[in-house]
Amino acid sequence: MKPLAVFALIALCSSSFAEPTPIELPPAPGPATGLADPAALRATVFGTPPQDIGPLPETVPLLEMDLALPWRRPVPQIFWFDKRLRVWLSAQKKPAPLAVVIAGTGSDANTSKLSVLRAILYGAGFHVLTLPSPTFPGFIVSASSTGVAGDLLQDGRDLYAAMGEIIAHLPRKVRITDVDVLGYSLGGANAAIVKSIDDTQHKLHIHRAVMINPPVSLFASIGRLDKLYAVSLGNGDAGIERFYQQLYAALANDYRASGRVALDEDFLLGAAAAVLKTDAQFRAAIALSFRIALSNVFLAGDLYSGAGVVTDPAHPPKVGDSLEATAQILRNTTFAEYFTRVFAPYYLKRLPNATVDSLIAQNRLDVIGDQLRTDPDYYCLTNSDDLILDRAELGWLKSTLGGRIAVYDHGGHLGNLGDRQQAADMLAMLEGRWPGGR
Amino acid sequence: MAGGAVMRTCRAVMRTRLGCTVAVLMLAGCATREVEFHRWPAETPAANNRADIAKLQGLQAAGAAASKPAPQASPEHAGSAAEPPSPPVEPDDAPSLKTYDPWARLNRFTYRFNARFDEALFLPAANGYRRIVPAPLRGGVHNFFANLTEVDSVINYTLQGRLHRTVRSFGRFVINSTLGIGGLFDIAGRLDLPYEPTGFGTTLAKWGMHPGPYLVIPLLGPSTFREGVGYAVDYGTSYEINLADLYRGYQSWGLGVVNAVDQRANIDFRYYSTGSPFEYETIRFLYVRKQLIEDAGLHKSKPVPKPNPNEPAGK
Repeated sequence: MKPLAVFALIALCSSSFAEPTPIELPPAPGPATGLADPAALRATVFGTPPQDIGPLPETVPLLEMDLALPWRRPVPQIFWFDKRLRVWLSAQKKPAPLAVVIAGTGSDANTSKLSVLRAILYGAGFHVLTLPSPTFPGFIVSASSTGVAGDLLQDGRDLYAAMGEIIAHLPRKVRITDVDVLGYSLGGANAAIVKSIDDTQHKLHIHRAVMINPPVSLFASIGRLDKLYAVSLGNGDAGIERFYQQLYAALANDYRASGRVALDEDFLLGAAAAVLKTDAQFRAAIALSFRIALSNVFLAGDLYSGAGVVTDPAHPPKVGDSLEATAQILRNTTFAEYFTRVFAPYYLKRLPNATVDSLIAQNRLDVIGDQLRTDPDYYCLTNSDDLILDRAELGWLKSTLGGRIAVYDHGGHLGNLGDRQQAADMLAMLEGRWPGGR
Repeated sequence: MAGGAVMRTCRAVMRTRLGCTVAVLMLAGCATREVEFHRWPAETPAANNRADIAKLQGLQAAGAAASKPAPQASPEHAGSAAEPPSPPVEPDDAPSLKTYDPWARLNRFTYRFNARFDEALFLPAANGYRRIVPAPLRGGVHNFFANLTEVDSVINYTLQGRLHRTVRSFGRFVINSTLGIGGLFDIAGRLDLPYEPTGFGTTLAKWGMHPGPYLVIPLLGPSTFREGVGYAVDYGTSYEINLADLYRGYQSWGLGVVNAVDQRANIDFRYYSTGSPFEYETIRFLYVRKQLIEDAGLHKSKPVPKPNPNEPAGK
């Protein structure tokens, strides 16, 4: 993560927002495995070192597809630019299997992580289609049938429907021999759910699903992220303001010492390693990046569900209105608040027999536990120091998938995505060459 | 005769109408087609990776050099050795999280206009240019325009009283205009004279002028009042100097378009790729902090002015 991104995160933080909530979320189980590990924190923030990535092809063609999906709901004015679902295709010239890759929490279909996966998969002879996360605002607006993102099954159904439309509209000369899905972080869980839906509907004939650093329980993971935020930045303005001030001073001093005439990307790249120093700062940066993603999900969910937590349903914000006050409120709004004030009220009303506990239970990978256990076409790659899992969850993944999981000792959350070992194992899984698989 | 005139008018009207109808249909078609395809220039992952590794190694080498006990003063520092070293920027010197934006209404409108213009015209043109024109040729074009800006840099470094940089920019201009064949090749860059342009906005900053309110300029994007004035003066200067008669007449239009496309092709930014309605706020936050840090870098000997915590940043 570049310091620019760190700054972007800060742009959306501060202020207070607390009201008693009728719905209570149970406390998150045990701490995540990698949070106390300095190496895991750094790997998570900086990502895979470039010299470890590979092998990469020289060129990868890139076609952007913008789709107007027939089930799109009326678009709130302030989301006017998100009307079309934007996905990216890199097609082989000859018949080839299609790898569909789903991005992680809050991310669009062209992140640097997707770019790495795209290159590796294209180099290995796949057509590659990259999709945004169902929690990316562009997906929520253009492709969600509810507008309230974060429900594993509902997001899976929306993704599956969108994939059907996309594949039906691929350029005619793209000839597909097989379809596989994969995803990183939340996208990994999404990918597995999409395959499980296809196993009953048989519309896309998805062959294999590969999860990269997936969460096991969505609500345990978000509970951990809320806690991470509270511990590293506290509640209210003070913590976030202090963090911002520290980063600002560090950048300003580095810049003054550098003798450069512009604060450009090259400078930021050099400063990146120096700006974040303590473990606490790395934790804060990670917590913030998730909080930023939540702000968008929260705002969209609030508008679509009519919950009226940060917007007035009778007078929704218009194009050109300042969103500074809303951003300020959302900076201090937790995942738990999204669950209790927007998500749960919406789904409890919609699903007649649902309870808070059932909503939490259906947002675990257990919902497809039987398939994961018995179907040899589900695979997983993760790290024993991943920040979004605890030991019990990692143990569950191992016992459920048996030989179809690769667990690396280091990398934190996605800090070894695309390194040589991980890339080779991922391709072995996708191509059915993995020793523990079929 | 009168009949002929009427016929001509009719034909003109019909032609206009036909043109309008075709245009409307085309535009409407663009907006309602189920799928739109946009071809992008191919990615070059292997080359990008090699560049990333080289950059990282360079940074590590620089880091190792910087950690040695005797720091090497750049000639710029040497020139101002009389100035006492300034105290470092403390966290308390950081401006407020809020940003001063008295022209927000207009700025938001312009930001939206820029986003639409970019998506419809500017970005497709830049992508087409990157797809069709081979990289070495694009590099030449980029160097050519960079070389033209050296003239303005020489003037402004002089006005800023930064002699070393004035000489360097002048040297770059002479070397690249001659050995670099009219600026097509950046020979000076290879001789360790890096390209570091400046403009009148920075001169005003050096003279102590405050950035002023945040300003989104049509087509150009995020800026401040002071930088906006700077752009205008820079353009005026180039126009007055009219180097090689490039800035007057028809050729100036062609040149302007190519320059704009070249610039856009070298900026890795896409409006609303964040998908977020908070993008305006985010970009404004980043731009104003960047500007304030650059200003602090210009006045090394002076302590950074203490911000008033109750005032938004940039006021």
